[in-house]
Amino acid sequence: MARLQLDTLSKRYGDFYAAQDVSLDIADGEFLTLLGPSGCGKTTTLRMVAGFVEPTSGMIHIGEREVTELPPWRRNTGLVFQNYALFPHMSVAQNVGFGLEMRGVAKAQREPKILEALRLVRLEHLADRLPRQLSGGQQQRVALARALAFQPDVLLLDEPLSNLDAKLRQEVRLEIRNLQQRLGITTVMVTHDQEEALTMADRLVVMAEGRIQQVGTQRDLYERPATPFVAGFVGRSTFLRGRMKADVLVLESGLSVRCGRRLVGDAVLALRPERVTLTAEPPAGFDNVFIGEVEIVSYMGGLTDVHVRISPSDRIIAQIANGEGVRLPEVGNRVHVAWSSNAAIFAVPREKQPEAVH
Amino acid sequence: MDTSSQLRSGTVISASSLIGPATILVALGVIVPLLFLLRYSFNEYDPRLLMVEAFTPANYVDFFTDPYFLGAFFTTVRISVVCTLACILLGFPLAYVLARTQSRFKNLMIIAVVIPLFVGNAVRAAGWMTLLGSQGFLSVTLMDLGITSTMTEIMFSETAVVIGIIAVNLPYMVLTLQSVLESVNRNLEEAAFSLGAPPLTMFRRVLWPLSMPGIAAGTILTFILAMNAYATPVLLGGPEFRMLAPLVYGQFQMNNWPLAAAIAFVLMATTLLLTVVASLVTRQGFRN
Ligand SMILES: Nc1ncnc2c1ncn2[C@@H]1O[C@H](COP(=O)(O)OP(=O)(O)OP(=O)(O)O)[C@@H](O)[C@H]1O
Ligand SMILES: [Mg+2]
Repeated sequence: MARLQLDTLSKRYGDFYAAQDVSLDIADGEFLTLLGPSGCGKTTTLRMVAGFVEPTSGMIHIGEREVTELPPWRRNTGLVFQNYALFPHMSVAQNVGFGLEMRGVAKAQREPKILEALRLVRLEHLADRLPRQLSGGQQQRVALARALAFQPDVLLLDEPLSNLDAKLRQEVRLEIRNLQQRLGITTVMVTHDQEEALTMADRLVVMAEGRIQQVGTQRDLYERPATPFVAGFVGRSTFLRGRMKADVLVLESGLSVRCGRRLVGDAVLALRPERVTLTAEPPAGFDNVFIGEVEIVSYMGGLTDVHVRISPSDRIIAQIANGEGVRLPEVGNRVHVAWSSNAAIFAVPREKQPEAVH
Repeated sequence: MDTSSQLRSGTVISASSLIGPATILVALGVIVPLLFLLRYSFNEYDPRLLMVEAFTPANYVDFFTDPYFLGAFFTTVRISVVCTLACILLGFPLAYVLARTQSRFKNLMIIAVVIPLFVGNAVRAAGWMTLLGSQGFLSVTLMDLGITSTMTEIMFSETAVVIGIIAVNLPYMVLTLQSVLESVNRNLEEAAFSLGAPPLTMFRRVLWPLSMPGIAAGTILTFILAMNAYATPVLLGGPEFRMLAPLVYGQFQMNNWPLAAAIAFVLMATTLLLTVVASLVTRQGFRN
């Protein structure tokens, strides 16, 4: 168990950067999640740490060791593959014991450690089975036990849950998190599932087009996204684009939105749906109030999404918490859409920045 | 209930009509002649009367007591074992590269492997002659380079036959291994590496055991082909060189059908026996 440091790590294929200037300092025992859309370089980054992709430049430290040049078998990292990659010709126990065996642990000493690792994932009763005799969820846990049994310095997980069904995923998610905290093992997980990232990690890294967009806690990313990309990727947002005039953002449609902040030039405003208030009568106490027509109402159990058009080119999404006595608007209703300027997440677009997702 | 039993008998009928023709063909074309041949092998040979009806193991006894035949027998087994081992050693790396390559030219590479099979036996033998003969490319080059002072004659020797058989059998081994290696996920190798196995250990513990089905199939295939090789030993081995398949034909030509039949059965039994042994050994390897 150790601290993991990536220092301006880059991987170039031809003139295309799969990962560029990735710098991360992951504390001993921390659970860090790499989050981002497909092709943004998450796997590439993880595989550089594991030693399967040779960085074009940059350095990797595990604890005090510089491992940038070390082959995978000398890095002491525990890796869990998306497809589990259990050795089909070995029993569960042999699979789990493989790392110990490679480290020269004698058979007699291996047995208790194998059992211990299997007990962690509650599979000690299946030690003699072959991988093909296990369910997907059990295979997943064996893969985890195998990666943990030899006490690696860091645990690396590449979309470990993506082959499980939704319900199982929730269970295993909690299980991995508990285990990680109990063992205090430094962990890096790759996912493109936001919810997974939010529920499991201590800190999240949002990547796009090979670059780190932002590193922070769930709350940092949600409430203070550094770029429009992050605002769109973590949670949902409505984006309003325009030019700043003093503390007012003038949209292309001509609408003026108060921002509570002075900026210059082109800007993008991100609004979280749950921060937007919908009322039939003009509300008091908001510095942004617009009248619009309800276009879509989607009921989702605890919450309802309402899409309101406030100009031919601007549509705002508002979220209403359902409950007793809450009256939902109907499509075609004219409603007031309101938010206070400090509720808006504000971001200035830079040049060559990944497009925000909607 | 009725419909299901109808369905089932329908399936049986269509299944038997599918495998029926092939079965009949095999029965008539292979098994019946084999039974005749087996019967012949216990007959007697008379230089004037040719085959004489009898029931005697004399032909088999002759075969296993005559140094001439025994020599051919051991040469055949030795060459087959050597060629098969060589095919495994040469074929595995080739098959691995083919299975793992991301190259756009993968199909071309596979065709390149198979090309030796496009060429007929006689043409191929002629090719080897220009390469291995005393006036051939290899001999002349070695002399030109001053490595040898006399002509190197590889043609018409056991070496030439071994080289020739390997060249014919290697594609079979490579293609068999390649298909099995492709089914071994690359992640398994990486998993072994990440667990601390250096490449050789990974190979021994993961890749080799998982490719055992391919090794077994390839071994059986190339071994049977080598045991029964006819054209290559005749064309590259020269008149003095003896393997069993040409010997069988030679006896037929001399009209000694009983002996030819006996040799054919010795060849077949040996091939079968060694094939069974090879597959038992590889299965054992797979278990560990
Ligand atoms: N060997 C390679 N050669 C060329 N390009 C590559 C190679 N490996 C990856 N890439 C490219 O690098 C980029 C990042 O790939 P990577 O696998 O890291 O994405 P990812 O974030 O893991 O995506 P996903 O969520 O789909 O798994 C992709 O655009 C990919 O096409
Ligand atoms: Mg990936």
